[in-house]
Amino acid sequence: MPSPLRWTVALLITGIIATAPARGEDADLRVQVVESYIDLHTGPGRGYPVAQVVERGEWVDIILRRTDWFQVRTQRGREGWVTRADIENMVTETGDRIRLRDVLYEDYRSRRFEAGFAGGLLEGDTFMMARAGYRLNENLTGEFTIGQASGDFSSSLLYYVAVLSEPFPEWRVSPFFSLGLGRFENTPKATLVGAIKTESNMANVGIGARAYLTRRFVVRGDYRRHVVFVDEDRINEYNEVSLGFSIFFY
Amino acid sequence: MRKRPLFPCTGILLALLFPVAVLAQNPETPAMEQVIQPELDRRPVRIPRIDTEDYEIGGYVGILSVEDFGANPVYGGRLVYHVNEDYFVEALFGKSTVSDQALCDLGLCLFPSREEDLTYYAMSVGFNLFPGEIFPSRKRAMTSMVYAVAGVGNSSFIDENLFTLNLGIGIRILPVDWLAVHFTIRDYLFESDILGSQEIKNNFELTFGASVYF
Repeated sequence: MPSPLRWTVALLITGIIATAPARGEDADLRVQVVESYIDLHTGPGRGYPVAQVVERGEWVDIILRRTDWFQVRTQRGREGWVTRADIENMVTETGDRIRLRDVLYEDYRSRRFEAGFAGGLLEGDTFMMARAGYRLNENLTGEFTIGQASGDFSSSLLYYVAVLSEPFPEWRVSPFFSLGLGRFENTPKATLVGAIKTESNMANVGIGARAYLTRRFVVRGDYRRHVVFVDEDRINEYNEVSLGFSIFFY
Repeated sequence: MRKRPLFPCTGILLALLFPVAVLAQNPETPAMEQVIQPELDRRPVRIPRIDTEDYEIGGYVGILSVEDFGANPVYGGRLVYHVNEDYFVEALFGKSTVSDQALCDLGLCLFPSREEDLTYYAMSVGFNLFPGEIFPSRKRAMTSMVYAVAGVGNSSFIDENLFTLNLGIGIRILPVDWLAVHFTIRDYLFESDILGSQEIKNNFELTFGASVYF
């Protein structure tokens, strides 16, 4: 069984175990309707019909949130979905308005972990990669990247660790420089005769910029030059241009 | 406690007792000073801890038909992040097999063995198109959503890595709030020259899957 599959299965099982018993353990948040009424939709989206309404003064329990929709349970045990705007107009048992906190630019500034995908061109061939990074301090990030390029004659798998330096982390669009070391594997197409698979060490330098988009999303563009040490007297160089998205955690 | 705010209170008290004393008051007493100091404890701001479920993880099984190489069972895993009510991003990994048996019967054996592994991965964006409900019985309704997906990825078999586009349509049905059942049809498109000329191959896949929200 290849390892990505094993990971998927492991993740799946962990997901199920982690999700199932956690339900219902926390006390639900009880809120009161102060508008004249609120609509309860049958599902978490504006396209789902309104099945019932809850009137002013009635209490509901918030069960869960899915994007900007909240599932609530009325005193009579009916369940439905409420918009975020309606939730923010309700009050808690202490009489406070609910303040929902979203992921903000400030959280982006204090992000720790980041993972994402990118696509681009590696010396003219389509190139895709996945990467994960850990932010060591404001300016430095350690990152692992695995990428795959598919060309007309061969495909390449490359993976490397890199250090990213961000000299101006406070800028909205923040430039960075990177230095990386890793491995480069080249597999010729099965239809080619006589070509052999190669595996070599590789180093790379790059420049790029990243910008905070919205919520947990970061957009990032890179230019990188890969130097592959094929053997003692042969060095191949490849240019990479890519655009990617990441999700961050803080 | 600051001393100054007490001063006007004392002043008012004195004014009530001895009206004349008011005249003697210093005219420079700040008029805007708050007369009553409410003794309020600031309530701690309550940030509700609401269980947020924007991720979905699951697996699927189905049939993948690889152009020229037969239709075979496929299975895979899928991770989804719901960005908002309209769209989501998805990463998936699948595994199937390709067979050159039909070609081999015609005397054109291509693969080292008749059946070879095929793996693929894809990163896609999904759009929620048609929300709806399914009514399996008189008293039961399950919400559903028809969605479309489009993305990029890679397919790999017999040492070929092929850049792959995918387009698909699916429906998810939620029998309970934390579980989704999916039916999808997808076309994986890649360019291949394995049979001589370089051409675009359409590889259709039909799957049935389940996923949990977390």
